[in-house]
Amino acid sequence: MSGWRDRFGKMMGKTRFVVCRLSIHLAGDQVAPLLGVLNRVARQAIDSEGEIEVLGEGLVEICESLLQYDTYWLSAANEGDVFWDEGEAGDYFNDLFTDSAQRYLSEPDLGTPAGAKDTFSLPVTRNLVVMITVAFEGEVPQLETDLANIAALKAGLKALINLHYQKRLRAIQIHFSPAQLGDELTSDQLLEHFPELIPL
Amino acid sequence: MRKIAVIFLTLTLCWTTVACSGSNTTTQAPPNQNVSVRPQSNSNLSNGEYAVQQASYSDANGEYTLFLLNTPAGSPPTYRTTNLQMARLTPEEVSAGKKSYLKIDNNQASLHLTEDFKIEYVRAVTETRTDPQTGQPQTVIVRQESGGFWAPFAGAVAGNIVGNLLFRPQYYVPPVYQPGVSVMTGFGGYGRTYDQAVNQYQSRYQAPPPAVRNRPAYLRTTGRIRSYPSGGSTVRTSPRVNTSDRPTGSGFGSSTLRSSDKSRPSRVDRTPSFGSGRSSRPARSGFGTRRR
Repeated sequence: MSGWRDRFGKMMGKTRFVVCRLSIHLAGDQVAPLLGVLNRVARQAIDSEGEIEVLGEGLVEICESLLQYDTYWLSAANEGDVFWDEGEAGDYFNDLFTDSAQRYLSEPDLGTPAGAKDTFSLPVTRNLVVMITVAFEGEVPQLETDLANIAALKAGLKALINLHYQKRLRAIQIHFSPAQLGDELTSDQLLEHFPELIPL
Repeated sequence: MRKIAVIFLTLTLCWTTVACSGSNTTTQAPPNQNVSVRPQSNSNLSNGEYAVQQASYSDANGEYTLFLLNTPAGSPPTYRTTNLQMARLTPEEVSAGKKSYLKIDNNQASLHLTEDFKIEYVRAVTETRTDPQTGQPQTVIVRQESGGFWAPFAGAVAGNIVGNLLFRPQYYVPPVYQPGVSVMTGFGGYGRTYDQAVNQYQSRYQAPPPAVRNRPAYLRTTGRIRSYPSGGSTVRTSPRVNTSDRPTGSGFGSSTLRSSDKSRPSRVDRTPSFGSGRSSRPARSGFGTRRR
């Protein structure tokens, strides 16, 4: 059905929209520094009020960092859909945002400023999940496939980077858990809230 | 043998005819179902025809503002919408002395115009500025000014579209703006859906129309990052004891996609047409990891 619609849409000269989500779980003592990159990109995105150019650059930065941390990849998952209607693609993108967001605490940080009696040491998380969702125009076979193996995942991340420079990205969202250095994502929470992850 | 061949050929013909017409009906749904241009009309006019006194189009967001004459009591005379089809008055209507009118049928607005009707074109003047906070260049709308008039169906246009198409309500995108031209005639693109019109414009001018280019990106954030910047990233907060079973996290995203005006069941809860093995749902098609 989808293949048939695909061909027909192409024939009608419609724009093809792909919305896909990619989740990567990294494990190890050294994964926490990635949180710095992720939070910096998040702040840049908010500073720019969601300028897609800026988010695209952030996405490139995150993908490059993830590629550098490839030895820590433990599991991954991806999913997506192809649309011929922009409205439907936009709705799916919003749905994915909500779905990704409900996996972690959505409340903002209301913690009290650290006092003198607090310890200086912070617990370091051993797990980190990054969820990247993008919507783009056209067709990228590297992303529209099963990404649950290392080689495919690498190709997928590189394809994401290229998409930014091809100016084909229409929407970008990035979620990560835990939120910052000092927070922890335990293996139990991982199992409970990210059940779709498949060991690489 | 010949009889069988005749019957076989007849059946094939029937089948192909039915198949073709079937595919037409499924994929070429009427534009009012197919297109969702964030129709934000500020008034809920009931079905009917309303005389149009004046119309303007803003290329900042692709919004039409119409001044109507015979609106019912209680409805404002202005009608704003981004979801507007246009058509030329048919010769019969012209000879019957009809003037330009707005027709609302089932929430789908279509503007039927005389040949010489001019729509005021409001142009958004954009400028690339450097964002003082991030140092990134960004395009901002500085002001809006009148950019002359746009006459979609004036004279020469008729040659471009084959006869009857002019009289059928379709989506139109104005031609590229040229400074100093007081009346722009014709269009940059047209189509049964807004997307088609935009695509046509894009293939003609190798750039999206201003209404699409100026479309804002919508930022969405959640989780810890929501406290930025008001929360102040410089204040170190003590790691709280996380009492709930959910981990902390942050999310942010920005979209330039339109969202549809229809409420449809969430696709995430339904079967994603291709999907990772979040559950035992069978992946219908597409791509994604499968649970082993």
